[in-house]
Amino acid sequence: MTAPLISTGVLDPSYTLPISLLIGIGFGFFLERAGFGSARKLVAQFYLTDLSVFKVMFTAIVTAMVGVAVLSRAGFLDMEQIPLIGTYLVPMVIGGLVLGAGFVIGGY
Amino acid sequence: MKSSFVQETGVRPAPYMNPYLAGVGIGLVLLTAFVVAGRGLGASGAFASVVSFAVNLVSPAHTADNVFYQKYLSRAAHPFQDAIFVGVIGVMIGGFTSGYFAHRVARTVEKGPNISDKGRFVLAFAGGVLMAFGAQLGRGCTSGQALTGGSLLNLGSWAFMLSVFAGGYGVAYFFRREWK
Repeated sequence: MTAPLISTGVLDPSYTLPISLLIGIGFGFFLERAGFGSARKLVAQFYLTDLSVFKVMFTAIVTAMVGVAVLSRAGFLDMEQIPLIGTYLVPMVIGGLVLGAGFVIGGY
Repeated sequence: MKSSFVQETGVRPAPYMNPYLAGVGIGLVLLTAFVVAGRGLGASGAFASVVSFAVNLVSPAHTADNVFYQKYLSRAAHPFQDAIFVGVIGVMIGGFTSGYFAHRVARTVEKGPNISDKGRFVLAFAGGVLMAFGAQLGRGCTSGQALTGGSLLNLGSWAFMLSVFAGGYGVAYFFRREWK
């Protein structure tokens, strides 16, 4: 297993912060390209006038999911090294409901 | 009053990218995060990190035996050493860069025509409070839980994500005057 590059020692952990910055820049770039710098466009998802949030989110999830599955099956990416958030259904459902309400009220 | 960032050349904002293409872009960024750093994307953690740092400055005694604050304080002595916080700084840089080159940078209040600026600000703040609370209760936000956990088929993340949509659709009718 070669990846995750930092966990396996291919890349020194001292690169964590600059890499986080670059990944953040890429994330922010595509979010804005999609129109998610605009609260009205984001919230339009919940008035069914613009389904961009749904389209972008699920395309991103499927893209990353396929990539992870292929790289893991190929023996390149060690899934054991990627931390998963534990399952706490009740707080997660309530937290999701509250965050979703805040999303529409706050606009982001 | 015009901000120095406002484009005054009369250039029209560029159209947004095709949503599926932007989705592939975000998916590849997320995949890169997994492959290089061994973790996904996050946003709410950055705020928790800053809050923990600030509270610790004011009252170390208060944070000393608090599990929540210690989780973030043990990860990084300062927000600028925290990978998620640094990532959020990157999101700002990337978002601004994209908006700048697409001529979308302008000083404006995003709202519908039927609400005042002040009303919008009050609701923005209230929404932010709810989001911060929901993100801590649900152990993540749209980035950390929905995108990252969702792509790993994490059960709790999917429960969270579907609840976010349910919560949003549930209150949308009552706040339609903010947007329409």
